[in-house]
Amino acid sequence: MNKQSITQYYRKHRKAIVTATSGLLYGGGWSLGYLTNFNTASAAILVLATIVGGYDIAKTAYHEVTNRTLGIKTLVTLAAIGAIVIGEYWEAAAVVFLFSLGSYLEGRTMRKTRTALQELLEMTPDTATVRRDGELREVPARKVEAGEVVVVKPGGKIPVDGTVVDGESAVNQAPVTGESAPVHKADGDEVYAGTVNQEGALEIRTTGAGSDTTLERIIRRVEEAQEAQSPTESLIDRFAKYYTPAVIVLAIGAYAVTQNAILSLTLLVIGCPGALVIGPPVSIVSAIGNAARSGVLMKGGEHLERAGKIDLVAFDKTGTLTKGETTVADVEGFGVADDEVLSLAATAEKKSEHHLADAIVDAAREGPTAATDGGTTVAQADDTDAGRRSVPDPNDFDVVAGKGVIAHADGQEVVVGNRALLADRDIDVPSRVADYVREREGRGETVVHVVRDGDIIGAIAMRDELREAAPGVVAALQDAGIETVMLTGDNERTAAAVAEEVGIDEYRAELLPEDKQSVIEGYQADGHVVAMVGDGINDAPSLATADVGIAMGAAGTDTAIETADMALMADDLERIPYAVKLSKATRWNVLENVGLAVLTVTVLLAGVLTSYVTLASGMLVHEASVLLVILNGMRLLRY
Amino acid sequence: MSDTTQFRVLDFDCPTCASTVERALSNVDGVQHVEVHYATGRVEIEYDDSVTDPDAFAQTIENQGYTPQPA
Repeated sequence: MNKQSITQYYRKHRKAIVTATSGLLYGGGWSLGYLTNFNTASAAILVLATIVGGYDIAKTAYHEVTNRTLGIKTLVTLAAIGAIVIGEYWEAAAVVFLFSLGSYLEGRTMRKTRTALQELLEMTPDTATVRRDGELREVPARKVEAGEVVVVKPGGKIPVDGTVVDGESAVNQAPVTGESAPVHKADGDEVYAGTVNQEGALEIRTTGAGSDTTLERIIRRVEEAQEAQSPTESLIDRFAKYYTPAVIVLAIGAYAVTQNAILSLTLLVIGCPGALVIGPPVSIVSAIGNAARSGVLMKGGEHLERAGKIDLVAFDKTGTLTKGETTVADVEGFGVADDEVLSLAATAEKKSEHHLADAIVDAAREGPTAATDGGTTVAQADDTDAGRRSVPDPNDFDVVAGKGVIAHADGQEVVVGNRALLADRDIDVPSRVADYVREREGRGETVVHVVRDGDIIGAIAMRDELREAAPGVVAALQDAGIETVMLTGDNERTAAAVAEEVGIDEYRAELLPEDKQSVIEGYQADGHVVAMVGDGINDAPSLATADVGIAMGAAGTDTAIETADMALMADDLERIPYAVKLSKATRWNVLENVGLAVLTVTVLLAGVLTSYVTLASGMLVHEASVLLVILNGMRLLRY
Repeated sequence: MSDTTQFRVLDFDCPTCASTVERALSNVDGVQHVEVHYATGRVEIEYDDSVTDPDAFAQTIENQGYTPQPA
């Protein structure tokens, strides 16, 4: 080892070396003192131990004082100097050594918390293979320009955000969305930097590189969230500002009254606000970091503390409990061919953007016999593709919000809508139609009536499949003692059928979007702390109203992340019980840490006043409590 | 012109230490805004680049007894 590398080694491990040296000197000095009844030699060694261990502490204390941020190191320095002045050399050495050891361990454990997110960033490869001027070149990933095509081999990590332009593969998106199962990617699909290409080669047209990728944006948001102070943290911080000066005043006061120097110096040591100020941030940073790695973005400590109190979770039905892919399940003509009903309804609905309209138009294009075969979605651009039928445009069309559409085509008036629309227009519903509708709704399907020139000619039943995970998620929340509610615009009977299938406690049907907000306000007025789960775009108002708004599938959409207090990167419902439980665990963890800190100070104070606790033992217990609090908070990293 | 730089300090061992570094950095000439976060160890400095530069900040952090790393 040459001189330079020794210096480097020393710099890197300075804290450990200083602590160890001071510890050895302390041990040696104390042993010698024990054998020689604390003669001058042992005193000298103990003073040396204090100086070695205390130099850095005193230096920081000096900075604390000159920057007017009185802190723990000022208190420790005062205590050590005081102990030497009154001749308690071994107490001085012990205080300094135990403090160095404690803060060395604290620094090490905090480093783990602080680097938990860095691991995510390291998922992105440093270089990318880019197609430039007709040949492949290896370039730094940050230097890839938007629009350039990047080639990723099977097994390689994707270096940029982009769209697949060639190839097909399964991509593990866990680093970004937390999903453990790989996602199939083909032409036109979006891929994220930091995810892993598992099967085939992919060519990707870059949309973002370097700091402009989804992963980097998420990590920046997570850090902001970790840095945002929770109400508990700011309360404690305000308190701590006055606490340290108050301890110094108390120690001086105690000396004035009792003339007991040891007592007042011990007060300085145990009065350090260590565990109290360190506990809450460690818990919250650990929890937010853990959530981020599981694909849940928590907005900050404040939201996390509120989420810990959730006792009711409201789910939007469509797209949340269900897949949000409505398909036509059945078409029934009453005196008219089924096919005619469907194509007439499709024409009326063609210009509508409602998800039911999309399902009807799609079904009409597929033709009368085409089942929903889940076929690929290649080349759908043209209505007249082989095997697909065209749907004519209506002459005019009007949307009746929440009820249906009224259109004209080929000189006929076509109404497609629910019962409310029929009632508005005084259209009679024959009993065989009513029976059919009731029967389909009882299966959890949504039915629209098709009316031509005032007569009901048919009905179309549509189905939005439940997510496989939905019943399990609802059950998990119920097990955790949380009420569950489903909010939907569907009619009563459909809602009841879906609610039963999912096993949800309660449902509210026939809600217009603004009604969902007032339903949530109603639950809040009853004293519930309400979480609302939705897609974050259509449900933005109700997410904002709820105590905790949870947006699903937020990886690509910044708006959803803006409105929500928590965002699930993937459409993975199973993250909800996890996120709610993690929030509850965090709230407990913060309380445990605050409780432990207060208890430690109380016990130590009692010990000092009854002379059971002196400098060294006070410092030992104090440092132990700080470490305990950090380790307790870090449990949340592995929750 | 105003510019912004970041450091990462992984060895803060107490919340007050972070506040002390924050105060020290804000006393450097040309520094307009400083944020030091104990929890994440992130240091963000907004400064006038005609007056000072990131090396001065790294030096200040080191003087306080901590190790700045590029963020």
